[in-house]
Amino acid sequence: MKKTNPSFLNGVPELLVLRLLSGREMYGYQIVEEIRIQSRDAFAFGEGCIYPYLHHLEAEKCLSSRRQEVDGRSRNYYRLTSRGQKRLAELGSEWRRVAAGVALLMGEQYA
Amino acid sequence: MPDYIAQLRCRLAELGCPRGRLNRLTREVADHREDLILAATRSGQSMSAASEAACHQLGDPLTLADSLMNTFRRSSWWGRHYLFAFGFLPLVAFPLVWGLFMYLQLQLAYAIGFHCDDQKLHAILNNPVTLHHWATFAYGCDYTAIGLVSLLICWLARRSGVSLIWMTIACLVGATYTLFTYTHVSRHNYSIGLTFDPQWIRAAIPVGTAVATCLYQRWMIGLARRKVAA
Repeated sequence: MKKTNPSFLNGVPELLVLRLLSGREMYGYQIVEEIRIQSRDAFAFGEGCIYPYLHHLEAEKCLSSRRQEVDGRSRNYYRLTSRGQKRLAELGSEWRRVAAGVALLMGEQYA
Repeated sequence: MPDYIAQLRCRLAELGCPRGRLNRLTREVADHREDLILAATRSGQSMSAASEAACHQLGDPLTLADSLMNTFRRSSWWGRHYLFAFGFLPLVAFPLVWGLFMYLQLQLAYAIGFHCDDQKLHAILNNPVTLHHWATFAYGCDYTAIGLVSLLICWLARRSGVSLIWMTIACLVGATYTLFTYTHVSRHNYSIGLTFDPQWIRAAIPVGTAVATCLYQRWMIGLARRKVAA
């Protein structure tokens, strides 16, 4: 039986968060801002919904967090763990496979 | 318009979020809100407009609280397997811990030398004061065992954010078990077992622990609601 991938649609926010945190540690607002800037406002979502994803990834030990004070303000910074890097690699290759499939299906005008 | 963070806090408290977690979640969202307001005021918006826009950008606080609690529940083994943890485990945990405490009592009696020194044993049992102390200790162990399991259940339920209904079910299972089992200490007689004579004091321990936890949760919710109203 062919392996199905339930995380295909659900895994996109996870993929984005892991990808952004692979560069440096960030806090929630920073992550949302980076998604907005780098995707050129492609996604519209309630910004608070980033926290369930962050906490889920932290519970899965893909991220670690620490409270840190920067410029007089204390914030929760998240960073990628080694497990997170593995998860990012898995989700990344899955996404490339799916994106290539979608591009083939939709034709050149949508690529 | 009620304060966004107070609404979030209230909903999280209603959903049974433990205090430490609740503080962390609300602090994080409050930081985010502050950042949004700061960015908006820097771009020339008034404080009230920035504050309103920040709430809009964060999304509905009630939906956010539900989502945060779902994530929190799924993050612990107890939260994912609540049916097993709070429906089945108490059936095993109460007799197991009770048996462990009985075993420790016997080990203590052996360590003191009851098993090999008949004269010493008789001297203790014939003395009403020492017998009273021994009986107090035995009943104390019995009640402590029941109390410990009840506290553990309530603590786990609170810590994993499981509905209080499951915690109550687990404590009622414990209460049923403790209602029909007994420990009895009298002169020359130490017995444990099943009985049809209800042991109300023993059964009151898990029920009391569950009631106290529910009251604590209600107090937390009341506190959060007062903040929203203010």
